[in-house]
Amino acid sequence: MNFIRTSQSTLSLPATPLKLANKLTLIHQYIPGCGVAAVDVWVKAGSIREIDQWSGMAHFLEHMIFKGTNRILPGQFDYAIEGRGGMTNAATSYDYAHYFMTLAAPDLVDTLPYLAELLLHAAIPDEEFVREREVVFEEIYQTYDSPDCLAFQALIEGVYQRHPYGRPILGTEELLMQRSPSEMRAFHRAHYQPENMTVVLVGDMDQDEAIALVERSFRDFPSPGDCPQHEAEAEPPMTDIRRQELRLPRLEQARLMMAWMGPGIDPLMQEKRDDVLPWNRFSPEQHLDPIKDACGLDLLSATLAEGRTSRLVQELREERQLVQEVSSGFSLQQESSLFTITAWLDAENLERVEALICDRFSHLITARINESELERSKRLLCNDHAFSTETPSQIAGLYGYYHTLADLETAIAYPQWIKEFTTEDLQNLASQYLSPYRYAAVVVKPL
Amino acid sequence: MTSTIALPQNRTIHRRILNNGITVLVIENPSADIIAARLFLKAGTRWESREKSGLSHLLSAVLTKGTERLSSLDIAERVESIGASLGTDAASDYFLLSLKTVSSDFADMLSLAAELMRSPTFPEAEVELEQRLTLQAIRSQQEQPFTVAFDQLRQAMYGQHPYALSGLGTEETVSQLTRQDLQEYYETHFRPDNLVISIAGRITPDEAVALVEESFGDWSAGSKQRPILNFPAITGQSNGTSPTEHRVTTPQETQQSIVMLGYLAPSLQADGAMTDYVALKLLNTYLGNGLSSRLFVELREKRGLAYEVSAFYPTRLNTSHFVTYMGTAPVNTAIALDGLKTEIDRLQTTPLTSEELQTAKNKLLGQYALGKQTNSQLAQIFGWYETLELGVEFDTRFQEEVAAVTAETAQSAALRCFGTAYISLLGPASLIGE
Repeated sequence: MNFIRTSQSTLSLPATPLKLANKLTLIHQYIPGCGVAAVDVWVKAGSIREIDQWSGMAHFLEHMIFKGTNRILPGQFDYAIEGRGGMTNAATSYDYAHYFMTLAAPDLVDTLPYLAELLLHAAIPDEEFVREREVVFEEIYQTYDSPDCLAFQALIEGVYQRHPYGRPILGTEELLMQRSPSEMRAFHRAHYQPENMTVVLVGDMDQDEAIALVERSFRDFPSPGDCPQHEAEAEPPMTDIRRQELRLPRLEQARLMMAWMGPGIDPLMQEKRDDVLPWNRFSPEQHLDPIKDACGLDLLSATLAEGRTSRLVQELREERQLVQEVSSGFSLQQESSLFTITAWLDAENLERVEALICDRFSHLITARINESELERSKRLLCNDHAFSTETPSQIAGLYGYYHTLADLETAIAYPQWIKEFTTEDLQNLASQYLSPYRYAAVVVKPL
Repeated sequence: MTSTIALPQNRTIHRRILNNGITVLVIENPSADIIAARLFLKAGTRWESREKSGLSHLLSAVLTKGTERLSSLDIAERVESIGASLGTDAASDYFLLSLKTVSSDFADMLSLAAELMRSPTFPEAEVELEQRLTLQAIRSQQEQPFTVAFDQLRQAMYGQHPYALSGLGTEETVSQLTRQDLQEYYETHFRPDNLVISIAGRITPDEAVALVEESFGDWSAGSKQRPILNFPAITGQSNGTSPTEHRVTTPQETQQSIVMLGYLAPSLQADGAMTDYVALKLLNTYLGNGLSSRLFVELREKRGLAYEVSAFYPTRLNTSHFVTYMGTAPVNTAIALDGLKTEIDRLQTTPLTSEELQTAKNKLLGQYALGKQTNSQLAQIFGWYETLELGVEFDTRFQEEVAAVTAETAQSAALRCFGTAYISLLGPASLIGE
């Protein structure tokens, strides 16, 4: 493949990445006059950090973070933010947990210390642990009533038979009942450390003030202590078609979900990234660039199923009328990304649709897509990128996400890199990743 | 604490009425290279007769699938080849066409939108396809416990009124709809004097108005009269044993029960009294908005009864609804309902403390401000106010009215409005009182 990422030396970075003295990363962008400030704190403490028996711990901890410290009571933080007219929430995924808030810029000075206090010094009180566990169980029960959630979980278990990406982020009732508050405290202290954490601050606060505020708020990290570490095992590639069938009650239409494994972001590259300038990191002779592959798979995903003129929507929904809906997705993950196709359809069409999708994947490998299709997908992705960077909170989320999974430059240079792909690049990527003979599939049928 | 969120852009809204009756609103916002537009028609499901329910939705699905000059695929290509977004939606009180583009593509997309609105052909094959997909979507909704529970709640509340049904319509009505129905609905509602075009982004008011003039200026209203709406009365009616309760249940062997407690609630009419509407907006925020809301703290944080617990009170032209709800382990169904009731009762018996009142105001006003950041949000909110005939000044008035709510006005609104309780339960038969 002759694709090379553009040198970023000419690209002006609107955001400034800074490494603070205690190894905490701060990404700051000043938007004067917008009146608002958003903070998004990303922690590399997602569910892949758990050992198998601790499955669900990272997500449960995200709930417990809000339960206060020795200095602030449960709920006091939420009240401090929302009582000022701001909003706050958090989410946990495989590779990260993140905590975000948006409020009037002048209120940040009085509220960011609360968030830092929670993140660094979560007390995880015993009685709150027991009570909040019930809330997590409710969250789990909700997914058990959702055919799409159940099917997706089965799908990733099919793809990742060894890697923790195959486990449910929420864990299970059975496993969570075996965990203790002290184990959670150990998990917290081990992972909520400055080198694992990125504070993104975007909005109406200048850089000097932002640095001072973050330095003042995020200090005195507790010592890491001992915690069982997950020894990540590389997932072997799929060598055939892994098929599962689910039968569910109250199902009104069938589902077909298919998944392929995409690139992981090289862990070695992750370690080196602080020492190497981004534009030198991917030298032309370096053939493996996972971020580049990821951008290309985004393009293939858009070509296949984003919009009425995409290949699968046009053929399966509009022309042959075999599906209610078909969608495609590519999710970037640290150790192994995931490319998926999902169709909602009548059960009688399941086999035919799967065969058609496989055949269309073969076409991607044997023939280049049209220039006009490539152009269309590029425009869609570049505009989606522009459309999702209108507000400080959107921008903060985007920076934190890419910085945590890859690097900050990706968040900014993404549209430029997308524009450099050729139809040949996409053909090569399809042949590398999207084999019609090696994938995982889940079909869901009525009981 | 006082709320300090006041977005600095005290935005000027330019409003112009064209000769053919189109109202154009322009909010110039140069901060990003994006323009969003919302084209509102005073139509929507509220204008459907019972036997034609789902008509607005079907029309919204087919509107983008053929014009006198363009096929369905041509239209999609025009939009997608430049990475724009164009969508349609049939809401309860209005019909909407939404656009979003990078600034340089805006003129093209606005002219395409004009073509869709002015010369759609509703091709027979596309009507059939979308009709079939809608029927499937109606069946698919039955898979979602929340949707099933809300559907039965709404039907109990609204009886024969169009608000009783989800916008998709029912299997019976949708299967009977024809291309002719679409054509008639179109001729009735799609006319320039019924249209509000709201544009926000990197464009000057003069440029925006000129573009609208170019694409829509020579569109004249047809002769068809819009019907006078004559709604069936919505009367709070009990069923069963209690004189003040209307209970509906769906037994399903789910892992979680859905529990809803709702009340009919004031509409928002331009000439109507605002007091109860604003007070209930505030109470809804107090009960259901965010991690520090009353329901969240009492039922989730302190008692661990739910993951999702909240409240909603949409703004409607006719009688609206104030609904609290939660999902809970089936064994907790009765406790959950009791918990929701206790909180509603408390609003009637106990005035909010001054701190509770102030916090709820800060939240409501702060989040209102945060909801006006993107161009799409700006185009939506002002266009919607104009469409509801509240005028763009309602933006300011609403905030003033919220600030003026007192503990007494809030409590008396709760006393006045929370009459017949509508209860919807979905869960295992033995636990929902079946």
